[in-house]
Amino acid sequence: MAKSDDCVHILQGLLVFGNVVIGMCGIALTAECIYFVSNPHGVYPLLKATENNDIYAAAWIGIFVGLALFALSILGIIGVIKASRTLLLVYIILMLITFAFEMASCITAATHRDSLTPSLFLKQMLERYQRSEPGNNSDNEITKTWDELMLQNHCCGVLGPSDWQEYTSAFRLTHNDADYPWPRKCCVLDAQGLPVNLDGCKLGVPGYYNSNGCYDAISGPVNTHAWGVAWFGFAILCWTFCVLLGTMFYWSGIEY
Amino acid sequence: TMLPLLLLLLPAAHAIVELQYKPVLTQTPPLEGLITASTFVLDQPRCVFGGYENADIWLVVALDKAASTFNNTAGPGTPETAFQRFPDPVPAYMTLNATLANYPCPKPAGDITVLRVGSETSCAQDEARPTCNGPLPGPGPYRVKFLALEGSEPVAETAWSEPIMLRTAKSPSSISTADRGHSAGMIAITTILSILFAILLAGLVAMLVFWGSDSCGGSSTFSKPESVTVRRYNTHHVYDQPAARL
Repeated sequence: MAKSDDCVHILQGLLVFGNVVIGMCGIALTAECIYFVSNPHGVYPLLKATENNDIYAAAWIGIFVGLALFALSILGIIGVIKASRTLLLVYIILMLITFAFEMASCITAATHRDSLTPSLFLKQMLERYQRSEPGNNSDNEITKTWDELMLQNHCCGVLGPSDWQEYTSAFRLTHNDADYPWPRKCCVLDAQGLPVNLDGCKLGVPGYYNSNGCYDAISGPVNTHAWGVAWFGFAILCWTFCVLLGTMFYWSGIEY
Repeated sequence: TMLPLLLLLLPAAHAIVELQYKPVLTQTPPLEGLITASTFVLDQPRCVFGGYENADIWLVVALDKAASTFNNTAGPGTPETAFQRFPDPVPAYMTLNATLANYPCPKPAGDITVLRVGSETSCAQDEARPTCNGPLPGPGPYRVKFLALEGSEPVAETAWSEPIMLRTAKSPSSISTADRGHSAGMIAITTILSILFAILLAGLVAMLVFWGSDSCGGSSTFSKPESVTVRRYNTHHVYDQPAARL
């Protein structure tokens, strides 16, 4: 009797501890997802223009899942201490539903991240950067975003300045090839925003133009966002799996 | 004897010196804009036209197939060599006028000495500027050579360059944005989470199916804290009552 009492108490203790960790992780997940949603990084207009908002949907789901995990962990602690079969059954079922939602959020974030290839951004940039047809607000946003991106990260194009040479573009329609082999923002600029050496930039002399592509600068924040949601959610779910298995075992051992 | 001598000298006076130099695209430093869709970059002909201080050195740009039929006596700045009428009907034009003073020899180390063919866009349509260095109208191929003229007499020329092909740009709709497959991380997350979820669902089903049956209980069954207290209370009363009767 005493031995099984000890085992019971150890199991209860473990389950309470597991639920406390789940509660704290739920709060952390909510905080992280609120940060991502409310603080869009500089390349957000480019993502919005791809008309695929899954990464943000995943973050929104993460907010609500985090709050649900916190609430359910409290329910779980009460159910374990009181050893109540009904409470624990409700806890297990609601936790499984939350598990399913969080699983969907992780997979969505990871899949959307995979779809953001360099080709996608290249095509978008060529077709919409400095597009002169009036009336499209998102084209202006894209142009402004690219200008800032190239200025701040000292880069040019997605893979390099040769992007502007290998493909025709909306930019090429309004800027002839001899005067503008690539946009002026690709040149090394001085404090006034003018090219240090315009001829050197047009020729492509090393040191007067930015020779690397901007894809790294774009994929950095996007990766942080996607993997922050996906991998943290995955870790929480692994821990939740263990706690739920323990709870099921505990539940089946309660007399009623 | 004077006559044969004069006859020997006359052809020599009219012959053009063929210099052993071939115009090349600039190799050092490596230039990103070496060849674009309408321009290309040549090395300046330094230390090539030694001895021709009075000559004007012109660049002749010709279509590849018209290079062999170019007439050296065609004057620059005439309609036969006007840039604005290139490539049809004029198959070759002359531009980038310079003298030996523009190409000092030897070349100072560290200086970038190039000629950008096609850089003047302002005069490309201006018929009054037939020697315009305007952007090339098509991808080519083109061949170039340098020609030195004294007055209107050609005195020296370089060899024709290798054919130069310009870039042709593709349309952005040819970029395929189809999914290139999924990363390892995404596949790991999906499979592992699916397996975990399946195990949990199986556990839930097992729990509900065996609700009430003692098959998993047995020795590990434990009691609720309240029922233990109640039993002790009962035991206490049972022992008390016989004692009270006695």
